[in-house]
Amino acid sequence: MTTYLSSPVTVNWGITARCNFVCSHCFSRLDPSPELAPEEARRVVDILAEQSVMFLNYGTGEPLLRRDLFELTEYAVSKGLKVTMNSNGSLIDAAAARRIREAGFHSVGISIDSAAPAIHDAFRRMPGSFDKAVRAARLLREEGVPLTVSSVICKVNHRDFPALVSLAKELGAHTIDLHNFKCSGMGGLNKEALDLSPEEWRTFYEAAVPMRDASMGIEIAFDDPILSLLGSEEKGKLVAGSVCGKLSLYIKPNGEITPCGFIPVTVGHILRDDFSQVWHGSKVLGHLRDKEATGKCSGCAKFSACLGGCTARAYAVYGTYDAPDPHCWKE
Amino acid sequence: MIVPKRNPEVVWRLEKGIHAMAWDKARREEDFEDLGVLTLMVKGGIHQLNLVGAEIWTRVNGINTVEKISGEVAALFGWEAEETEEAVLGFLEGIGEKGWVTLGEGSG
Repeated sequence: MTTYLSSPVTVNWGITARCNFVCSHCFSRLDPSPELAPEEARRVVDILAEQSVMFLNYGTGEPLLRRDLFELTEYAVSKGLKVTMNSNGSLIDAAAARRIREAGFHSVGISIDSAAPAIHDAFRRMPGSFDKAVRAARLLREEGVPLTVSSVICKVNHRDFPALVSLAKELGAHTIDLHNFKCSGMGGLNKEALDLSPEEWRTFYEAAVPMRDASMGIEIAFDDPILSLLGSEEKGKLVAGSVCGKLSLYIKPNGEITPCGFIPVTVGHILRDDFSQVWHGSKVLGHLRDKEATGKCSGCAKFSACLGGCTARAYAVYGTYDAPDPHCWKE
Repeated sequence: MIVPKRNPEVVWRLEKGIHAMAWDKARREEDFEDLGVLTLMVKGGIHQLNLVGAEIWTRVNGINTVEKISGEVAALFGWEAEETEEAVLGFLEGIGEKGWVTLGEGSG
Protein backbone atom coordinates (compact mmCIF):
# COMPACT_ATOMS: atom_id res chain seq x y z
CA MET A 1 0.00 0.00 0.00
CA THR A 2 1.34 3.42 -0.91
CA THR A 3 0.79 5.71 2.04
CA TYR A 4 -0.59 9.17 1.39
CA LEU A 5 -1.78 11.23 4.30
CA SER A 6 -3.66 14.41 3.59
CA SER A 7 -2.71 15.73 7.05
CA PRO A 8 -1.09 14.41 10.22
CA VAL A 9 -2.90 11.64 12.04
CA THR A 10 -1.76 13.12 15.35
CA VAL A 11 -0.82 16.62 16.35
CA ASN A 12 1.05 16.98 19.60
CA TRP A 13 0.36 20.40 21.00
CA GLY A 14 2.20 22.15 23.76
CA ILE A 15 -0.74 24.17 24.98
CA THR A 16 1.47 25.59 27.72
CA ALA A 17 5.17 25.59 28.51
CA ARG A 18 4.45 26.14 32.17
CA CYS A 19 5.02 23.26 34.53
CA ASN A 20 5.03 22.72 38.27
CA PHE A 21 7.83 20.14 37.89
CA VAL A 22 11.44 20.56 36.77
CA CYS A 23 12.19 17.08 35.40
CA SER A 24 15.78 16.38 34.44
CA HIS A 25 14.90 14.98 31.01
CA CYS A 26 12.31 17.56 29.91
CA PHE A 27 12.63 18.69 26.29
CA SER A 28 10.62 21.86 26.75
CA ARG A 29 11.72 23.26 30.11
CA LEU A 30 14.22 25.57 28.42
CA ASP A 31 11.63 26.85 25.93
CA PRO A 32 10.55 30.39 26.93
CA SER A 33 7.71 30.51 24.36
CA PRO A 34 4.60 32.40 25.44
CA GLU A 35 1.39 30.41 25.06
CA LEU A 36 -1.46 31.20 22.70
CA ALA A 37 -4.46 33.11 24.05
CA PRO A 38 -7.75 31.19 24.45
CA GLU A 39 -9.24 32.61 21.24
CA GLU A 40 -6.08 31.75 19.32
CA ALA A 41 -6.17 28.25 20.77
CA ARG A 42 -9.72 27.79 19.48
CA ARG A 43 -8.56 28.87 16.03
CA VAL A 44 -5.89 26.18 16.22
CA VAL A 45 -8.62 23.63 16.93
CA ASP A 46 -10.64 24.93 13.95
CA ILE A 47 -7.64 24.49 11.66
CA LEU A 48 -6.86 20.98 12.86
CA ALA A 49 -10.49 19.92 12.60
CA GLU A 50 -10.72 21.37 9.10
CA GLN A 51 -7.66 19.30 8.20
CA SER A 52 -9.31 16.13 9.61
CA VAL A 53 -6.52 15.55 12.11
CA MET A 54 -7.63 12.51 14.10
CA PHE A 55 -5.83 12.87 17.42
CA LEU A 56 -4.87 15.98 19.35
CA ASN A 57 -2.47 15.29 22.20
CA TYR A 58 -1.58 17.92 24.75
CA GLY A 59 2.03 17.49 25.75
CA THR A 60 4.74 19.89 26.90
CA GLY A 61 4.43 21.54 30.29
CA GLU A 62 1.57 20.51 32.54
CA PRO A 63 -1.68 20.88 30.59
CA LEU A 64 -3.77 21.25 33.74
CA LEU A 65 -2.06 24.57 34.45
CA ARG A 66 -3.90 26.03 31.49
CA ARG A 67 -7.13 27.64 32.69
CA ASP A 68 -9.11 27.07 29.50
CA LEU A 69 -8.07 23.40 29.25
CA PHE A 70 -11.54 21.94 29.71
CA GLU A 71 -13.37 24.49 27.58
CA LEU A 72 -10.78 24.06 24.84
CA THR A 73 -11.09 20.29 25.04
CA GLU A 74 -14.88 20.37 24.90
CA TYR A 75 -14.60 22.57 21.84
CA ALA A 76 -12.08 20.22 20.18
CA VAL A 77 -14.21 17.17 20.96
CA SER A 78 -17.26 18.94 19.50
CA LYS A 79 -15.23 19.38 16.31
CA GLY A 80 -14.60 15.64 16.08
CA LEU A 81 -11.04 15.51 17.42
CA LYS A 82 -9.97 12.72 19.77
CA VAL A 83 -8.20 14.58 22.56
CA THR A 84 -5.57 13.05 24.80
CA MET A 85 -3.04 14.54 27.17
CA ASN A 86 0.04 13.68 29.15
CA SER A 87 0.09 14.88 32.73
CA ASN A 88 2.30 14.43 35.76
CA GLY A 89 -0.93 13.81 37.67
CA SER A 90 -0.10 16.17 40.52
CA LEU A 91 -3.11 18.41 39.90
CA ILE A 92 -5.66 15.65 39.37
CA ASP A 93 -7.95 15.34 42.36
CA ALA A 94 -11.43 13.82 42.32
CA ALA A 95 -13.01 17.00 40.95
CA ALA A 96 -10.41 17.32 38.18
CA ALA A 97 -10.81 13.66 37.23
CA ARG A 98 -14.55 14.17 36.92
CA ARG A 99 -14.02 17.31 34.83
CA ILE A 100 -11.60 15.39 32.59
CA ARG A 101 -14.26 12.78 31.95
CA GLU A 102 -16.94 15.39 31.35
CA ALA A 103 -14.74 17.27 28.89
CA GLY A 104 -14.56 14.14 26.76
CA PHE A 105 -10.90 13.21 26.86
CA HIS A 106 -10.29 10.14 24.73
CA SER A 107 -7.45 9.00 26.98
CA VAL A 108 -5.08 10.47 29.56
CA GLY A 109 -1.45 9.51 30.05
CA ILE A 110 0.05 9.77 33.52
CA SER A 111 3.83 9.90 33.80
CA ILE A 112 5.24 7.25 36.09
CA ASP A 113 8.90 6.39 35.60
CA SER A 114 9.47 3.75 38.24
CA ALA A 115 7.48 1.43 40.44
CA ALA A 116 9.82 2.53 43.24
CA PRO A 117 8.46 5.83 44.62
CA ALA A 118 11.89 7.19 45.58
CA ILE A 119 13.28 6.66 42.07
CA HIS A 120 10.29 8.31 40.42
CA ASP A 121 10.39 11.25 42.83
CA ALA A 122 14.12 11.79 42.29
CA PHE A 123 13.77 11.60 38.49
CA ARG A 124 10.85 14.04 38.55
CA ARG A 125 12.66 16.14 41.16
CA MET A 126 9.48 16.36 43.18
CA PRO A 127 9.03 14.60 46.52
CA GLY A 128 5.64 12.91 46.77
CA SER A 129 5.07 13.00 43.02
CA PHE A 130 4.84 9.19 42.74
CA ASP A 131 1.95 9.04 45.21
CA LYS A 132 0.18 11.87 43.40
CA ALA A 133 0.63 10.20 40.01
CA VAL A 134 -0.71 6.89 41.29
CA ARG A 135 -3.63 8.65 42.96
CA ALA A 136 -4.40 10.49 39.73
CA ALA A 137 -4.33 7.25 37.76
CA ARG A 138 -6.75 5.59 40.17
CA LEU A 139 -9.11 8.59 40.17
CA LEU A 140 -9.18 8.65 36.39
CA ARG A 141 -10.02 4.96 36.23
CA GLU A 142 -12.74 5.43 38.84
CA GLU A 143 -14.25 8.00 36.50
CA GLY A 144 -13.92 5.58 33.60
CA VAL A 145 -11.35 7.69 31.75
CA PRO A 146 -9.15 5.47 29.54
CA LEU A 147 -5.67 5.54 31.05
CA THR A 148 -2.17 5.13 29.72
CA VAL A 149 1.03 5.17 31.75
CA SER A 150 3.89 7.05 30.20
CA SER A 151 7.47 6.27 31.19
CA VAL A 152 10.79 7.56 29.93
CA ILE A 153 13.30 4.73 29.78
CA CYS A 154 16.75 5.85 30.91
CA LYS A 155 19.48 5.01 33.40
CA VAL A 156 17.19 5.12 36.40
CA ASN A 157 14.70 2.48 35.27
CA HIS A 158 15.93 0.44 32.28
CA ARG A 159 16.44 -2.70 34.35
CA ASP A 160 13.28 -2.34 36.42
CA PHE A 161 10.70 -1.87 33.68
CA PRO A 162 8.85 -5.18 34.36
CA ALA A 163 7.74 -3.80 37.73
CA LEU A 164 6.62 -0.64 35.95
CA VAL A 165 4.55 -2.68 33.51
CA SER A 166 2.98 -4.58 36.40
CA LEU A 167 2.14 -1.33 38.17
CA ALA A 168 0.56 0.14 35.04
CA LYS A 169 -1.54 -2.99 34.61
CA GLU A 170 -2.60 -2.92 38.25
CA LEU A 171 -3.64 0.72 37.85
CA GLY A 172 -5.93 -0.24 34.96
CA ALA A 173 -3.95 1.34 32.14
CA HIS A 174 -4.75 -0.05 28.70
CA THR A 175 -1.26 0.87 27.45
CA ILE A 176 2.13 1.65 28.86
CA ASP A 177 4.29 3.82 26.64
CA LEU A 178 7.94 3.07 27.25
CA HIS A 179 9.40 6.17 25.63
CA ASN A 180 13.05 6.12 24.70
CA PHE A 181 15.13 8.91 26.22
CA LYS A 182 15.72 11.88 23.92
CA CYS A 183 18.67 14.18 24.38
CA SER A 184 16.76 17.40 23.65
CA GLY A 185 16.31 20.37 25.98
CA MET A 186 17.13 19.37 29.57
CA GLY A 187 17.64 15.85 28.24
CA GLY A 188 20.57 17.16 26.21
CA LEU A 189 22.12 18.77 29.27
CA ASN A 190 21.70 15.56 31.29
CA LYS A 191 22.50 13.08 28.53
CA GLU A 192 25.60 11.68 30.21
CA ALA A 193 23.75 10.93 33.42
CA LEU A 194 20.54 9.57 31.89
CA ASP A 195 21.02 8.13 28.41
CA LEU A 196 21.83 4.46 27.88
CA SER A 197 24.67 3.23 25.74
CA PRO A 198 23.73 1.56 22.45
CA GLU A 199 24.46 -1.84 24.02
CA GLU A 200 22.24 -1.01 26.97
CA TRP A 201 19.45 -0.09 24.57
CA ARG A 202 19.90 -3.41 22.85
CA THR A 203 19.72 -5.26 26.17
CA PHE A 204 16.61 -3.32 27.14
CA TYR A 205 14.77 -4.04 23.91
CA GLU A 206 15.82 -7.68 23.84
CA ALA A 207 14.11 -8.07 27.20
CA ALA A 208 11.17 -5.75 26.59
CA VAL A 209 10.06 -6.82 23.11
CA PRO A 210 9.27 -10.43 24.13
CA MET A 211 7.28 -9.01 27.02
CA ARG A 212 5.31 -6.85 24.57
CA ASP A 213 4.68 -9.86 22.36
CA ALA A 214 3.59 -12.07 25.25
CA SER A 215 0.13 -10.49 25.64
CA MET A 216 0.47 -9.37 29.24
CA GLY A 217 -3.04 -7.93 29.37
CA ILE A 218 -1.65 -4.47 28.69
CA GLU A 219 -0.30 -2.98 25.47
CA ILE A 220 3.39 -2.15 25.66
CA ALA A 221 4.33 0.54 23.15
CA PHE A 222 7.81 1.76 22.29
CA ASP A 223 7.62 3.85 19.11
CA ASP A 224 11.33 3.53 18.44
CA PRO A 225 12.47 2.96 14.84
CA ILE A 226 15.65 1.18 15.94
CA LEU A 227 13.48 -1.78 16.92
CA SER A 228 13.91 -2.78 13.29
CA LEU A 229 17.39 -3.95 14.27
CA LEU A 230 15.78 -6.80 16.16
CA GLY A 231 13.57 -7.63 13.18
CA SER A 232 10.67 -6.57 15.35
CA GLU A 233 8.41 -4.05 13.73
CA GLU A 234 5.72 -2.43 15.78
CA LYS A 235 2.36 -3.63 14.54
CA GLY A 236 0.38 -1.27 12.39
CA LYS A 237 3.27 1.14 11.91
CA LEU A 238 2.31 2.29 8.37
CA VAL A 239 5.53 4.27 7.80
CA ALA A 240 9.18 3.32 8.11
CA GLY A 241 11.52 5.14 10.48
CA SER A 242 10.46 8.01 12.72
CA VAL A 243 6.83 9.03 12.57
CA CYS A 244 7.71 12.73 12.96
CA GLY A 245 6.61 14.74 9.96
CA LYS A 246 5.05 11.60 8.45
CA LEU A 247 2.21 10.78 10.82
CA SER A 248 2.56 13.56 13.32
CA LEU A 249 3.58 17.16 13.89
CA TYR A 250 4.20 19.24 16.96
CA ILE A 251 2.85 22.70 17.76
CA LYS A 252 4.84 24.72 20.25
CA PRO A 253 3.09 26.81 22.92
CA ASN A 254 3.58 29.92 20.75
CA GLY A 255 2.05 28.27 17.67
CA GLU A 256 5.21 27.42 15.78
CA ILE A 257 5.10 24.06 14.03
CA THR A 258 8.03 21.65 14.29
CA PRO A 259 8.30 18.04 13.04
CA CYS A 260 8.23 16.82 16.63
CA GLY A 261 8.81 18.23 20.08
CA PHE A 262 12.38 17.01 20.06
CA ILE A 263 13.40 18.60 16.75
CA PRO A 264 13.60 22.36 17.37
CA VAL A 265 13.29 23.34 13.70
CA THR A 266 10.33 25.55 12.86
CA VAL A 267 8.55 24.65 9.62
CA GLY A 268 5.67 27.11 9.91
CA HIS A 269 3.17 28.74 12.24
CA ILE A 270 -0.24 27.26 12.84
CA LEU A 271 -2.04 30.61 12.76
CA ARG A 272 0.02 32.46 10.17
CA ASP A 273 0.76 29.82 7.54
CA ASP A 274 -1.41 27.57 5.41
CA PHE A 275 -1.33 24.28 7.33
CA SER A 276 -1.83 22.12 4.26
CA GLN A 277 0.99 23.92 2.47
CA VAL A 278 3.29 23.34 5.44
CA TRP A 279 2.37 19.64 5.60
CA HIS A 280 2.80 19.03 1.88
CA GLY A 281 5.37 21.66 0.95
CA SER A 282 7.88 22.01 3.78
CA LYS A 283 11.39 21.18 2.61
CA VAL A 284 12.33 20.04 6.10
CA LEU A 285 9.38 17.62 6.28
CA GLY A 286 10.21 16.47 2.76
CA HIS A 287 13.74 15.72 3.92
CA LEU A 288 12.51 13.73 6.94
CA ARG A 289 10.28 11.66 4.63
CA ASP A 290 13.12 10.95 2.24
CA LYS A 291 16.23 10.53 4.35
CA GLU A 292 19.53 9.46 2.87
CA ALA A 293 21.70 6.74 4.34
CA THR A 294 24.94 8.17 5.65
CA GLY A 295 27.81 6.80 7.72
CA LYS A 296 27.18 3.28 8.96
CA CYS A 297 23.63 3.40 7.54
CA SER A 298 25.10 3.27 4.03
CA GLY A 299 24.76 -0.29 2.86
CA CYS A 300 22.98 -1.39 6.05
CA ALA A 301 20.28 -3.95 5.26
CA LYS A 302 18.04 -2.48 7.96
CA PHE A 303 17.99 1.06 6.56
CA SER A 304 14.83 0.57 4.52
CA ALA A 305 12.99 -0.35 7.72
CA CYS A 306 14.50 2.06 10.23
CA LEU A 307 15.50 4.94 7.88
CA GLY A 308 18.40 5.80 10.14
CA GLY A 309 16.39 5.50 13.35
CA CYS A 310 15.21 8.45 15.41
CA THR A 311 15.78 11.69 13.52
CA ALA A 312 15.46 13.79 16.67
CA ARG A 313 18.33 11.97 18.36
CA ALA A 314 20.50 12.20 15.26
CA TYR A 315 19.77 15.90 14.94
CA ALA A 316 20.41 16.59 18.63
CA VAL A 317 23.77 14.82 18.65
CA TYR A 318 25.13 15.40 15.14
CA GLY A 319 23.12 18.38 13.88
CA THR A 320 21.89 16.61 10.74
CA TYR A 321 18.74 14.65 9.96
CA ASP A 322 20.51 11.93 8.01
CA ALA A 323 23.10 10.92 10.59
CA PRO A 324 22.71 7.44 12.09
CA ASP A 325 20.71 7.24 15.31
CA PRO A 326 23.18 7.49 18.22
CA HIS A 327 21.24 4.69 19.96
CA CYS A 328 21.94 2.27 17.10
CA TRP A 329 24.04 -0.66 18.32
CA LYS A 330 24.89 -2.00 14.89
CA GLU A 331 28.61 -1.76 14.06
CA MET B 1 -28.76 -11.73 6.43
CA ILE B 2 -25.38 -10.65 7.67
CA VAL B 3 -25.08 -7.12 9.01
CA PRO B 4 -21.58 -5.82 9.69
CA LYS B 5 -21.01 -3.27 12.43
CA ARG B 6 -17.91 -1.16 12.99
CA ASN B 7 -15.94 -1.43 16.21
CA PRO B 8 -16.61 1.99 17.78
CA GLU B 9 -13.02 2.07 19.04
CA VAL B 10 -11.73 2.33 15.48
CA VAL B 11 -10.94 5.97 14.64
CA TRP B 12 -10.88 6.62 10.92
CA ARG B 13 -10.94 9.21 8.18
CA LEU B 14 -11.13 9.37 4.42
CA GLU B 15 -7.98 10.95 3.01
CA LYS B 16 -9.02 14.23 1.41
CA GLY B 17 -8.05 14.48 -2.22
CA ILE B 18 -6.68 10.96 -2.37
CA HIS B 19 -10.15 9.41 -2.45
CA ALA B 20 -10.95 11.57 -5.48
CA MET B 21 -7.56 10.81 -7.03
CA ALA B 22 -8.17 7.07 -6.68
CA TRP B 23 -11.58 7.42 -8.33
CA ASP B 24 -10.01 9.38 -11.20
CA LYS B 25 -7.56 6.55 -11.71
CA ALA B 26 -10.31 3.93 -11.49
CA ARG B 27 -12.38 5.74 -14.13
CA ARG B 28 -9.35 5.96 -16.41
CA GLU B 29 -8.80 2.23 -15.80
CA GLU B 30 -5.39 2.93 -14.25
CA ASP B 31 -4.03 1.10 -11.20
CA PHE B 32 -5.66 2.42 -8.04
CA GLU B 33 -5.53 -0.61 -5.76
CA ASP B 34 -2.27 0.44 -4.13
CA LEU B 35 -3.45 3.89 -2.99
CA GLY B 36 -4.21 4.32 0.71
CA VAL B 37 -7.54 6.09 0.67
CA LEU B 38 -8.89 5.61 4.18
CA THR B 39 -6.85 5.65 7.38
CA LEU B 40 -7.83 3.73 10.50
CA MET B 41 -6.34 3.73 13.94
CA VAL B 42 -7.11 1.00 16.42
CA LYS B 43 -5.27 -0.06 19.56
CA GLY B 44 -2.31 2.14 18.73
CA GLY B 45 -1.89 0.59 15.28
CA ILE B 46 -2.46 2.57 12.11
CA HIS B 47 -3.65 1.07 8.86
CA GLN B 48 -4.96 2.11 5.45
CA LEU B 49 -7.59 0.74 3.11
CA ASN B 50 -7.58 1.16 -0.63
CA LEU B 51 -10.48 2.52 -2.65
CA VAL B 52 -12.51 -0.69 -2.68
CA GLY B 53 -11.93 -1.26 1.04
CA ALA B 54 -12.88 2.35 1.73
CA GLU B 55 -16.12 2.10 -0.25
CA ILE B 56 -17.06 -1.00 1.74
CA TRP B 57 -15.99 0.49 5.09
CA THR B 58 -17.97 3.70 4.64
CA ARG B 59 -21.12 1.66 3.98
CA VAL B 60 -20.78 -0.35 7.18
CA ASN B 61 -23.19 1.27 9.62
CA GLY B 62 -24.78 -1.55 11.60
CA ILE B 63 -27.87 -1.39 9.36
CA ASN B 64 -26.70 -2.19 5.84
CA THR B 65 -26.53 -5.89 5.04
CA VAL B 66 -23.58 -7.46 3.24
CA GLU B 67 -25.93 -7.95 0.30
CA LYS B 68 -26.78 -4.26 0.16
CA ILE B 69 -23.18 -3.15 0.56
CA SER B 70 -21.90 -5.52 -2.10
CA GLY B 71 -24.72 -4.52 -4.43
CA GLU B 72 -23.69 -0.88 -4.17
CA VAL B 73 -19.99 -1.69 -4.52
CA ALA B 74 -20.70 -3.84 -7.60
CA ALA B 75 -22.65 -0.99 -9.16
CA LEU B 76 -19.88 1.51 -8.36
CA PHE B 77 -17.15 -0.54 -9.99
CA GLY B 78 -19.25 -2.27 -12.65
CA TRP B 79 -18.55 -5.73 -11.26
CA GLU B 80 -20.62 -8.92 -11.28
CA ALA B 81 -22.95 -9.01 -8.27
CA GLU B 82 -22.28 -12.58 -7.18
CA GLU B 83 -18.49 -12.34 -7.29
CA THR B 84 -18.59 -8.97 -5.58
CA GLU B 85 -20.67 -10.31 -2.71
CA GLU B 86 -18.19 -13.10 -2.18
CA ALA B 87 -15.28 -10.64 -2.20
CA VAL B 88 -17.01 -8.16 0.10
CA LEU B 89 -17.86 -10.90 2.58
CA GLY B 90 -14.27 -12.14 2.47
CA PHE B 91 -13.00 -8.63 3.12
CA LEU B 92 -15.39 -8.12 6.03
CA GLU B 93 -14.46 -11.48 7.54
CA GLY B 94 -10.80 -10.50 7.25
CA ILE B 95 -11.21 -7.20 9.05
CA GLY B 96 -13.56 -8.94 11.47
CA GLU B 97 -10.68 -11.18 12.50
CA LYS B 98 -8.68 -8.03 13.24
CA GLY B 99 -11.52 -6.77 15.42
CA TRP B 100 -12.41 -3.80 13.25
CA VAL B 101 -15.97 -4.98 12.60
CA THR B 102 -18.35 -7.58 13.96
CA LEU B 103 -20.63 -9.60 11.71
CA GLY B 104 -24.09 -10.19 13.12
CA GLU B 105 -27.38 -11.55 11.91
CA GLY B 106 -29.83 -8.86 10.84
CA SER B 107 -33.58 -9.12 11.19
CA GLY B 108 -35.85 -9.55 8.22
